Amino acid sequence: MDYSSIIKDNLISLNYFLPELLLTGLIIVLVIADLFLKDERSPWLSFVALAGCVVVLLSVIAQFDLGSRSLFQHMLVVDPFSVFFKLLFLASAIAVIFLSIASVELAGRPVGEYFTLLIALTLGLFLMASSTNLVTILLSIEFVSIVSFVLATYLKTRRRSSEAGLKYAIYGAFSSGLMLYGLSLLYGLTGTLNLYEIGDVLASRDSNGMALTLSTILILAGFGYKIASVPFHFWSPDVYEGAPTPITAFLSIGPKAAGFAVLIRFFNVALAGEPANGASQWSALPELDWPMILAVVSAITMTLGNLVAIVQTNIKRLLAYSSIAHAGYALMGVVVLSQDGIYATMFYLAVYYLMNLGAFLVVIVFQDLLGSEKIADFKGLAWRAPVPAIAMAVFLVSLTGLPPTAGFIGKFYLFAAVIKAGPAFYWLAVVGLLNSVVALYYYARILKTMFFDKAAEENSISVSPYYVTLLALLAAPTIILGVYWAPLQKLATNSVEFLRAL
Amino acid sequence: MEVGLNHYLALAAILFSLGLFAVVTKKNAVTVLMGVELILNAANINFVAFARFIDTDLDGQIIAVFVIVTAAAAAAVALAIVLNLYERLKSINLDEADSLAG
Amino acid sequence: MLFNFANVLTFIVFGAVFVGINITLSRILQARNPHPVKLSTYECGELPEGDSWIQFNIRFYVIALIFLIFEVEIVFLFPWATVFKELGLFAFVEMMIFVFILLVGLAYVWVKGDLEWDKSTAVPDPALAPSAARQELTEAIAS
Repeated sequence: MDYSSIIKDNLISLNYFLPELLLTGLIIVLVIADLFLKDERSPWLSFVALAGCVVVLLSVIAQFDLGSRSLFQHMLVVDPFSVFFKLLFLASAIAVIFLSIASVELAGRPVGEYFTLLIALTLGLFLMASSTNLVTILLSIEFVSIVSFVLATYLKTRRRSSEAGLKYAIYGAFSSGLMLYGLSLLYGLTGTLNLYEIGDVLASRDSNGMALTLSTILILAGFGYKIASVPFHFWSPDVYEGAPTPITAFLSIGPKAAGFAVLIRFFNVALAGEPANGASQWSALPELDWPMILAVVSAITMTLGNLVAIVQTNIKRLLAYSSIAHAGYALMGVVVLSQDGIYATMFYLAVYYLMNLGAFLVVIVFQDLLGSEKIADFKGLAWRAPVPAIAMAVFLVSLTGLPPTAGFIGKFYLFAAVIKAGPAFYWLAVVGLLNSVVALYYYARILKTMFFDKAAEENSISVSPYYVTLLALLAAPTIILGVYWAPLQKLATNSVEFLRAL
Repeated sequence: MEVGLNHYLALAAILFSLGLFAVVTKKNAVTVLMGVELILNAANINFVAFARFIDTDLDGQIIAVFVIVTAAAAAAVALAIVLNLYERLKSINLDEADSLAG
Repeated sequence: MLFNFANVLTFIVFGAVFVGINITLSRILQARNPHPVKLSTYECGELPEGDSWIQFNIRFYVIALIFLIFEVEIVFLFPWATVFKELGLFAFVEMMIFVFILLVGLAYVWVKGDLEWDKSTAVPDPALAPSAARQELTEAIAS
């Protein structure tokens, strides 16, 4: 066998693997630096991590002009689609580093391990977004899972954090076991691990519909766990409540977006046919109606998330259920099997990053000021601490999907894509609309508590300028993108292109 | 009768079901993790059997090696978390880890 | 087709008969002299102390977990070793990077004191005692 051509291909691939290599280097630097630090609680490593992230960000931006390219014997891929998600992950990582630096919850804990794990999680997300082989999909999902288990348990002296970590780990191990069994069946049906070859084999011959459906549902367990969709959502309220809040914010954005990236790629490359005569819509395999499966999952996910969110009293749990509901909304775009749909999902995830991170930032601010996560303790906060309260109003309006915020535009694109796809999914759009009304109820309840209920104390609370700056940085784009969304639209349109065939 | 692909698949399916049963019914965190381990090994048997009978190259065996390693890593982290929780609760019963509810 | 199972059947039957005959023979021939000591656990002549269902020291688990991780990673060295000669320098460098990262992990465990048997467990909750530099930073942010 001739190895030299393979080695040559791998060496060339290394050039396109620069962001991941830089992240790996950063992890090793952080680990080694942590060993030489006298005081493991000193904050300097957070600045190293931040600087490293900025360097990686530059190298990712440089990847935009590369086009689509398959790396390492078709293990990974670089394409605008993955680059878009990489930008999203880096933006989340940088924001979470900022949140962690000032977090009272994390104060006094060893920082070296924390930031090492945070960067490792980012690397895992990068790999998830660019996997095109069952091996890399499995490895990257496990990588992200294992690192998130540790981060969720990071406040290990607190009982709630330990319990959150345990539940996360057990559900995670279970769902990746189910996914792996599904992958093994898929491998048996096609005889290859390469997503593109799987797509070719499934398109070229009739395979056993039952086996294919079973394997797809099992694989969906792994993806559903990552995006927190029903019925693999059980971990998310507990983990969101128990984990340190900056980590909760990261887990609600990063792994969720990465789950969508790998889900979109998997379903559209392996289980969908080429568009007939240049139509903008692809066709699912005839023996497996996965758009219908996903549509049902999407409808149930958003309904359950919204209905359970109504009765929550803890703000972190409420945001957890709302984030389950948002996974349901974003899934609507995947269901319709078109460029428009995927574009809408990507747009929505980017907007969701802004508004959800913002909401969690406000939670952190209130947590620091009041020492409480109970919604009932937010009474009259609008008069005591107006800046975070107004920012919260912006984020909640955006999460509801009302104009003039970015959330409205995101939802608009999603519904437009579903309607455009034809009457088969009109019911899904109706379910989505009804859900938005339900969501309005519990988001408005928080606003009512903050703005119209009488406060127990009257004294005003001062918020540090650091937090005010961060809040402004997140709230401003949430509103601006609601009025002038062309830049994000352009970015998403350019990125919807992913490598569909070798 | 030669031992063929179907025998391996049946073995894997039995292991998978046993693992699923353990995960769903057991309350002890370590037992649940053992159930997950059974599921992973069922998938591994599938992979290796398919690599032997269907695929011409070694893809299935390669993924099996990776599964072994990730399973060990996940188990190590999960067990470390179980140990940590034991220090808090003096129990590894999943029903007693109930301070998060709502 | 079923003939192939004949071997298995013969084996099972022969095994059962063989074990049965031996047990019956020993029942017939043995001398009976029961004594409680005969039922106790054999520990190289020492008297067994207490129950075997005890909790082991938690430190064993930590060592075992660390061992497990490093041992399992070695599985990647075997496929590499079989084709090492054909792949040449490239694979060698690749594997050295892999081993280097493992060594960094080992060094980390070592320096953090998790290989020590007597790691002080009475560490106060770090949240209660922020470091000086940390406190300065928090104050700088707050002001």
